[in-house]
Amino acid sequence: MSVGSQTTSPAVSPVAAVEDLRVSFETQRGTVQALRSVSLEIAPGEIVALVGESGSGKSVLGMSLLGLVGSLRGAQVAGRVQVAGVDMLTNADSTRRLLRRELLGAVFQDPLTSLDPTMKIGRQLTERGVDKDRAIGNLTEAGVPDPRRRFFEFPHQLSGGLRQRASIAMALGTAPRTDGLTAVADARGFPKLIVADEPTTALDVSVQAQIVLLFDRLRREHGCSVLFVTHDLGVAASIADRIAVMYAGRVCELGSAADVLERPRHPYTRALLDARVSVEISRSAPIRGIEGSPPDPTSPPPGCAYAPRCPRAQPDCTTALPELTPAQADPTHRVACIDPLDADHHQETWSESPGRVLAAKSAPAGEPALELVDVTKTFAVGSGRLRRGGERVHAVSNVSLTVPAGGAVALVGESGCGKTTTLRLACGLMPADSGSVRWSVDAGRPQLIFQDAGSSLTPWLTIGAMLSEQLARQGVERHERRAQALELLAQVGLDERAAGAKPRELSGGQRQRAAIARALASKPHLLICDEPVSALDASLAIRVLDLLAELRAKLGVALLIVTHDLGVARHSADQVAVMYRGRIVERGSTDEIFDTPAHPYTQGLLAAIPTTEPGRLSPTLAGEPPSPIGEDHGCAFAPRCPYAQSVCAQLPALGELAIDHDVACHFAKQVAAGDAAPGTLESDDEAAKL
Amino acid sequence: MTRLVTGRLVAMVGVLLALTFVVYLVDAVIPANPVAASLGAGASHAQIIAREHQLGYDKPFYAQYWLFLGRLIHGNLGASLRTHNTVTSDLSNFAPATIELALLSGVLIAVLSLILGVWSASGIRGANLIRVLMTSLASAPTFFLGIVLILIFYSSLHLLPASGRTAGGQATGFVMIEDFFSGNLSGWFGALRHAIMPAVVIAVGPAVAIGRVLRGSLLEVMREDHVRTARSKGLSEFAVMLHHGLRNAATPVLAMAGLQMGLVLTGVIVVETVFAWPGLGLYASSALQYSDFPAIVGVTLVLGIAYVVINAAVDILQLVADPRLRDQ
Repeated sequence: MSVGSQTTSPAVSPVAAVEDLRVSFETQRGTVQALRSVSLEIAPGEIVALVGESGSGKSVLGMSLLGLVGSLRGAQVAGRVQVAGVDMLTNADSTRRLLRRELLGAVFQDPLTSLDPTMKIGRQLTERGVDKDRAIGNLTEAGVPDPRRRFFEFPHQLSGGLRQRASIAMALGTAPRTDGLTAVADARGFPKLIVADEPTTALDVSVQAQIVLLFDRLRREHGCSVLFVTHDLGVAASIADRIAVMYAGRVCELGSAADVLERPRHPYTRALLDARVSVEISRSAPIRGIEGSPPDPTSPPPGCAYAPRCPRAQPDCTTALPELTPAQADPTHRVACIDPLDADHHQETWSESPGRVLAAKSAPAGEPALELVDVTKTFAVGSGRLRRGGERVHAVSNVSLTVPAGGAVALVGESGCGKTTTLRLACGLMPADSGSVRWSVDAGRPQLIFQDAGSSLTPWLTIGAMLSEQLARQGVERHERRAQALELLAQVGLDERAAGAKPRELSGGQRQRAAIARALASKPHLLICDEPVSALDASLAIRVLDLLAELRAKLGVALLIVTHDLGVARHSADQVAVMYRGRIVERGSTDEIFDTPAHPYTQGLLAAIPTTEPGRLSPTLAGEPPSPIGEDHGCAFAPRCPYAQSVCAQLPALGELAIDHDVACHFAKQVAAGDAAPGTLESDDEAAKL
Repeated sequence: MTRLVTGRLVAMVGVLLALTFVVYLVDAVIPANPVAASLGAGASHAQIIAREHQLGYDKPFYAQYWLFLGRLIHGNLGASLRTHNTVTSDLSNFAPATIELALLSGVLIAVLSLILGVWSASGIRGANLIRVLMTSLASAPTFFLGIVLILIFYSSLHLLPASGRTAGGQATGFVMIEDFFSGNLSGWFGALRHAIMPAVVIAVGPAVAIGRVLRGSLLEVMREDHVRTARSKGLSEFAVMLHHGLRNAATPVLAMAGLQMGLVLTGVIVVETVFAWPGLGLYASSALQYSDFPAIVGVTLVLGIAYVVINAAVDILQLVADPRLRDQ
């Protein structure tokens, strides 16, 4: 095969170059313009983060670099995409395929679905001509403990974090180079470029920090360039050399991580930074959401797509598309705005919007809206004939939790910690094995808000019909239902048009509002929210959290918010309970928990959350969340704990550390004070030795 | 895994026992008197009673069932009232022809459904044409399709024989298999020419049903994330379909195949009659005309066993195809 040879010196030529790339998709709704003239270069060994909200075109750009965009349904592509000097748009299928085999790696978002469930890990790793020894080497490289065993296992036998590591090992194992592409070949056979599409989004915070570290090491040791697609500015800050911010199919700001994060010039970048529901910010500080919503991708406005939402918009903004041009004196920092923010606008009041304080003031104490006392729930492992030797999943062990009337309690923890089971017990969806669950007398059942409103609303009913159905069950007369339905919609900030719409015709944020309106129909005293905003972009998340706070203040409804996102917990709750392997390990007022965390797990979790400080790699919590199978003897966190001593073999009780602050740790006082002695137990640090 | 397979096999034995009981029950309650039928219209009442006693027909029902099971275990199904041979020897004479036909049909089903499913899922041109063609073939009743094929390929084109089966296969009764392995290729080809029309008639319906499920399942699988991952590794579209598509698409396809086997087994009886194929189907349809219950019981049991065994095999194949089912 013939491939254009490099004319410039390989040292400076980019690994990937995208020029004026335009991608659109023919759909039933019209032509969706996914990318509208995007240009971007990635240098050898460079990590470029591509950030933006959903629908901004980030993933399409990733697929373009892989040469796969043309195969997507209804895709129309124009422009130029080169990887290692090879055109990834016009070349024959076979050429692009060869390039993927030999030079490219890809890691996708969901490790549960992006590995073939019917094929052993080893075979998936060796499929493109990598020999077994190298594949096992790559597993080790990616931090998979016991790689020789894992090589012969199926994906479902691995935890989420390990699966993502296996995916990364797979991306690392490119085929031995043939002569066609040797102009840029790396004799060791590592990929020149890894396209990582939200590789940490589906992972727990502690695992996310480990994976980010891993990418950083791979780049340092093997010089792999990475296109790191993410919606999380914190993750981008910790790993990227450069950041490209995308909005409505265009790059609106591009520059070094430090420039973009510390001296953002585009109002959208600034707004994204401000809209972070971050743990770093006190809950009494206002958070400024982004008003409005992104433009319809089938008919983007002629001018700047962000202008309709931009507080600085001028008449000129709506006439012509702003090009990406260097911000003064600094050619590497480019911004697509006719009136960019000043380089040091930190104190500048650049927006009229005062922002919102999401935390509502505490409501008067009364009878608790929800009281769990010493609740335990176990499940059999497997089912039916497959039941395995009497072992049980200890999902929830001796959990006591009170949600005061009108109060807001956040239950946080990583996957498998038992928070969802607790939620089900709390709303009476399943009975507890022991202990008691009480709601406030004659307040009716608590109502549930789910993570994905899209799938929790009946697709063929209009929002109005769904609300009427709920009202009918409350005994509301037929002729009053419509008025009451509109009233409910008004409470959640939706208007009459939403009543006539079916769920798919609404945006994600609107659907979540509609779901909340439905929950409010029975005038509950308690709303139980299961990851209420984790499917939403930051700007929408703020608005939903704000709505929940408003409902609390206006209607006095209490909230139990179950979330893995500590930022959401900090800004939406007065009380936080941290769960680990079925038990509450720390509980207290939100300020106590975030200001003086006293359980090593809480401290580790908080430390693992990425901040927007460029280049700051979060310290990782070793290991992964434990399996809940079998009874726990002793502190379940001890194997991952930096302070574990022999006494940790005994189960620590949840004891009072300060007023309104309980911790289940033998060394809570020392840990809180920051002078705990290093542990004397061998910790499970296979994953930590990165 | 071993435990799952063992469990499946134990369940299979249970189903087979139940089948013998139902077959025996039907045999026992049917109003026709096989003893009288076998002795002919001129037999006296006393002769019939004596014969009934001799055959154990006067014992209580459960005792008779017990005796029946005992005989069954020794391969003794009694004598056919029509051919006067033991049913076991009749079955072993007729079964090879049917097994051979069923195997050929199975191969055709596999090939046709794969072509249909993969072709139409990959959206290559001509997929719709082949689908329309196969669906219209499958929508005709088997006896009608059989007659049409005979009219075309025998009466008009003189390409294929209309009925029967070549002689040969002295050792086992499996003509095609014996000829093939003894190197008698012209004999093998002759046998194949006889078998091809009935096999096509049997295969076309199940192939369309399975192919359609395969198409839907494949289309779904090819949109999954792990297929995108496979493409990102630079595998060819063919390798992606073969290694990642088909196996993941297998579970519903196998379930459908198991269901279709029931149709194949009943289809055999009609098709063998149309093509005068000397197999169990032809044997059973003659037995039906004579109320030859020992023969009917024998054929029913053989087909029942075949059905149960095939479905157990399908279950086990599903475990092979999807490792997640093995250890949950």
